[in-house]
Amino acid sequence: MRATSILSGTARTPLIRFVGKRSVPKSIDHSPRVHPASPTGSLPDSFATYRAKAQQHGPLGRSSFNSTVGGTAGAALGPVKPQAGEFFDRAELPSRFGRLPWTQAEIDAIETGGASMFA
Amino acid sequence: MFRAVLPRATPRSALRHAGPRAIPNNFATSMIFIGQSKRGFASEAGDHDLVIIGGGVAGYVAAIKAGQEGLKTACIEKRGKLGGTCLNVGCIPSKSLLNNSHLYHQVLHDTKKRGIEVGDVKLNLTQMMKAKDTSVDGLTKGIEFLLKKNGVDYVKGAGSFVDANTIKVALNEGGEQTLRAKNIIIATGSEATGFPGLNIDEKRIITSTGALALTEVPKKMTVIGGGIIGLEMASVWSRLGAEVTVVEFLGQIGGPGMDAEIAKQAQKILGKQGIKFKTGTKVVSGDDSGSTISLNIEAAKGGKEEVLDADVVLVAIGRRPYTEGLNLEQVGIEKDDRGRLVIDQEYRTKLPHIRVVGDCTFGPMLAHKAEEEAVAAIEYIKTGYGHVNYAAIPSVMYTHPEVAWVGQNEAEIKASGVKYRVGSFPFSANSRAKTNLDTEGVVKFIADAETDRVLGVHIIGPGAGEMIAEATLAIEYGASSEDIARTCHAHPTLSEAFKEAAMATYSKPIHF
Repeated sequence: MRATSILSGTARTPLIRFVGKRSVPKSIDHSPRVHPASPTGSLPDSFATYRAKAQQHGPLGRSSFNSTVGGTAGAALGPVKPQAGEFFDRAELPSRFGRLPWTQAEIDAIETGGASMFA
Repeated sequence: MFRAVLPRATPRSALRHAGPRAIPNNFATSMIFIGQSKRGFASEAGDHDLVIIGGGVAGYVAAIKAGQEGLKTACIEKRGKLGGTCLNVGCIPSKSLLNNSHLYHQVLHDTKKRGIEVGDVKLNLTQMMKAKDTSVDGLTKGIEFLLKKNGVDYVKGAGSFVDANTIKVALNEGGEQTLRAKNIIIATGSEATGFPGLNIDEKRIITSTGALALTEVPKKMTVIGGGIIGLEMASVWSRLGAEVTVVEFLGQIGGPGMDAEIAKQAQKILGKQGIKFKTGTKVVSGDDSGSTISLNIEAAKGGKEEVLDADVVLVAIGRRPYTEGLNLEQVGIEKDDRGRLVIDQEYRTKLPHIRVVGDCTFGPMLAHKAEEEAVAAIEYIKTGYGHVNYAAIPSVMYTHPEVAWVGQNEAEIKASGVKYRVGSFPFSANSRAKTNLDTEGVVKFIADAETDRVLGVHIIGPGAGEMIAEATLAIEYGASSEDIARTCHAHPTLSEAFKEAAMATYSKPIHF
């Protein structure tokens, strides 16, 4: 009885823990910081100054995101659905939305009922 | 009708290249076709999502991972063979020679007491080198296959920056190719550091590369540098019959990181095997004009000069980043005072789309560290999040017995002011080591005195390089020595020594 109570009172809790399924954190700060294995423990100023002025697929600096073209998410600009009575012609859309031209092979395949694919 | 199963965004180029024969003839094959045409970020047909300069461990692992993640990837390598230093002139060939020279040495000196009578044992160095080359060839070809399997374009040539997104490749077979990429990874590795005044010809004055390809066993060999590379090569040639002397500037062998107590034991054991050591000694100058090479040495703190003669001198004083010919100035990528490319926590240089992994940047020059970084760098590109724990990177010296460690050593912990406990267990008290007649060495644990969390594990003994994986896992997951001690280990195995050392740290071992 005494042994049981002693044992229950001193139950060991492992230090190692199951951390669960690994997942990408929802919020990540991508601003440049010093690399964990850096011998100097510091990052040159050039990293911050480059980002402040550089353009790569849009400005890199966080502060400039709000005021320029592309600084606002598409969703925030409202729906692109045509209003009642309004129609878009496919020809007005960028070419990537256009119909792809038929190739001769496809035309032949249709006309021969698929036989040309095995010719 | 055939296009019905293809998304509208399917690149026209993909369709164009497909040709009439590639038109899918049923739904299942159509879906495969879609999967293959799916790409990450590149917009133009000729652009790559990622170009990797260097096909060594860091480069090829990044290339495979990128291919798996659906990035249109190219990998540039000028050696003509993938795998870099590790596979071609480093880890892999050295392990082949270490293993086979150990077998030779064992057959020569360690069979009688085991009840094995052997006859005339001879060394066939040419065949030993051939066995090494076969291993290397098989592995490098295997990597080439893996790149192909994962859709990576393998470009044989030397890459250099034209601008921040353009790499010009001087092709090995002649001519030039230009690659454009949204992301670039520099993984050009490292090279052996030379010694001032000694001209490396890889025949008489050699680096580790030459030490893996000697055509005959030198009578006398001097190794400058008692780090891991120096000691592994010293072991190989000493086992094969050379009279080897290791000159080390520091007071202990093994280089930085190896626990002083373990290093002392390693020196004693290797000394018994016939290697001579001159620690706390510096090489002042060398002369290779005669039939032998003479080195003038003296105590590191100053003292009487001594002359060492040798047929072959191995310079193993360290490695330095190799970034020659990349034209880094063109894009303004910075180096530190030791030539390492400066990066932030996501492996980005000043230019965020150019990343650096492996030996040519910060951290220990280890192949497994480079692999971890390569995977993390691709994850940063793809998901914005990657993971490398620099506190849990193991180091292994593949001598016999092997030496391996992970985490901090005792001197480092002492200096940090943390209160700690040490527990150790000798292999001489381990049943499996006894049956193997291979009992030299010890497992040493260092744990936080208050929390019992494992801070460092240091092993010298048979199979230490394999055993350190358990310690690395323990440190990665923040285990206590009691966690390990209460985990069942199979009997009779060498790993029981590991468990008993953990027991010795938090309480007492059973068998010692």
